[in-house]
Amino acid sequence: MKDIIIEQFKSFLEKIAEFLPNIFTGIVLIVVGFLIAWLLRMLITRAGQILKLDILTERVGLIQIIHKSGIKDPFSKLFGKLIYWVVLISFIIMGLNAFQVPAVENILSTFLLYLPNVIVAGIILFLGYLLGNFLGRAALIASVNAGLAVSGLVGRLVKYTVFIMAVAMALELLGIGEDTVLIAFAIVFGGVVLALAIAFGLGGRDAAKEYIDKMLKEEKEEDKDEIQHL
Amino acid sequence: MVRAVQAGFAKYFSDKKVILINSDGGSTDGTREIVEKTVINDFQPLLINQKQNLLSKIITPYHGIPGKGSAFRMVFEIARELGVKACAVVDADLRSITPEWIELLIRPVLEHDFDFVSPYYLRHKYDGTITNSIVYPLTRALYGRRIRQPIGGDFGFSGRLAEFYLTKDVWESDVARFGVDIWMTTTAVANGFKVCQAFLGAKIHAPKEPSSDLSAMLTQVVSALFMLMEEYENKWKGIKATNPIPMFGFQFSAGLEPIHVNIERMINMFRLGIKELGDIIKDILSDESFKGLKETAKLSPFSISDELWARVIYDYAVAWHRKVMSKEHILKTLTPLYLGKVASLVIDMADSNANEVEERLEALCTTFERLKPYLIERWG
Repeated sequence: MKDIIIEQFKSFLEKIAEFLPNIFTGIVLIVVGFLIAWLLRMLITRAGQILKLDILTERVGLIQIIHKSGIKDPFSKLFGKLIYWVVLISFIIMGLNAFQVPAVENILSTFLLYLPNVIVAGIILFLGYLLGNFLGRAALIASVNAGLAVSGLVGRLVKYTVFIMAVAMALELLGIGEDTVLIAFAIVFGGVVLALAIAFGLGGRDAAKEYIDKMLKEEKEEDKDEIQHL
Repeated sequence: MVRAVQAGFAKYFSDKKVILINSDGGSTDGTREIVEKTVINDFQPLLINQKQNLLSKIITPYHGIPGKGSAFRMVFEIARELGVKACAVVDADLRSITPEWIELLIRPVLEHDFDFVSPYYLRHKYDGTITNSIVYPLTRALYGRRIRQPIGGDFGFSGRLAEFYLTKDVWESDVARFGVDIWMTTTAVANGFKVCQAFLGAKIHAPKEPSSDLSAMLTQVVSALFMLMEEYENKWKGIKATNPIPMFGFQFSAGLEPIHVNIERMINMFRLGIKELGDIIKDILSDESFKGLKETAKLSPFSISDELWARVIYDYAVAWHRKVMSKEHILKTLTPLYLGKVASLVIDMADSNANEVEERLEALCTTFERLKPYLIERWG
């Protein structure tokens, strides 16, 4: 009995002794990863400032759109942070892998296989958000300058259409209800168009007539506007 | 136009060597052939005794980016190569040009040592509203010279100024496409060239398609103004006062025919802009200006004060300078606000004669001058 217990205990200690280097390696990898990520963040942020990426992104209007989403950092700092997290997560994954625990390995391998899709889906969502805001604002300004009373609606319609398309693409990429998402999107989008057509064609016949009459009348009046702006 | 230029040469510069240049952007409407064939054979009906034996013409396509700026560049280059003393540029589709225009644009350069002759046209009191409400008050306050129509389009200039224009590296920029008018005027003024004005009378162009987009037009003019503000920041910041410039030509006035202006539509556009673009505009304007515009939208009778308008234009210049968002978006949001100011000016000037209109615009200009420290402070 005593021997069995001692044997079991020895076996347990041996397993711990076998496992300890793995834990140590894993922890070292994570710590080193943290240091590398921190260093890269510093270098990339500084390089971005030297290369005047902040001014460039301001000029093309990208950073203003990002600021609108609530993120207030300049682009170089933001890019540095992104690299920091990508590097840190990579090292954490390597560190966990170094533990050589089958259950953790399985979860990691599944996660790793899925990770590229998650990253690409995230990028699509982010770009969709930026593009939606930019195009929505452009459509809003153009509609106001054209004198459309429904300018706000036009701007929002453009913005959310781009958002929804980005979400549909991201979900399809993640394999979440691939066909369902596409069909739902088609039904919703088609439905909106059909509803508008019916509203103008049948339900809002009088309103549409009144609106068109008003537009034509306005156009006639505008033709008489003889002012030369230049 | 070609006949008017030829008559102008014959009548006023018969003892000089002259040349007519058609800087063509590849037009397909027969302009080149017309310029080539058009000639005055009989000067008697024009009461011109002196005449040149031959009018030399250069009809050449310009190269580079399509636009008025590239066409002017070709003229500058020919002027440099020929070593000319004076040049005049006029639009090819002018209907109201007379031989006297040539004299008025060239003689101040030849005989009075001026480098740049800006046009002064006789216009209806409601016309030229972009010039009256933005370009004239702003350029006057910035550069200190009272050039009444800085974007007139027809200019006279010296050979040395043409050479100076060519030293500027702008020919691949927007100046080549549009904005060359304000660029020429500002470059001459900001670099200390001698400038004057010439009273040319009415300016009438050939009828065009009524599709000119106000928003695009306003964006082009204002973006050229703001681009020049960046370039000449060190010059305009130091200018504290404005001075009148000499005027040549016989000034006359004409009766004002009533023209139709849809004020209500303009005010509605302004209100729509404040309502729908408020979230964007408040990122462009100072809090005080934005609040002022919101209150103005509720006013009856409608009026945008000169002080508020000057602050709005200065805020837009600062927003452009600081790049608070896409430059095109900044400028395009100005259209409804501009229409509001036009409506306000039209209401103000409804019963005014030409002199009273000028007095009204003088008040607007002095407000821009008084508030210049506000611009300098915000510009940074």
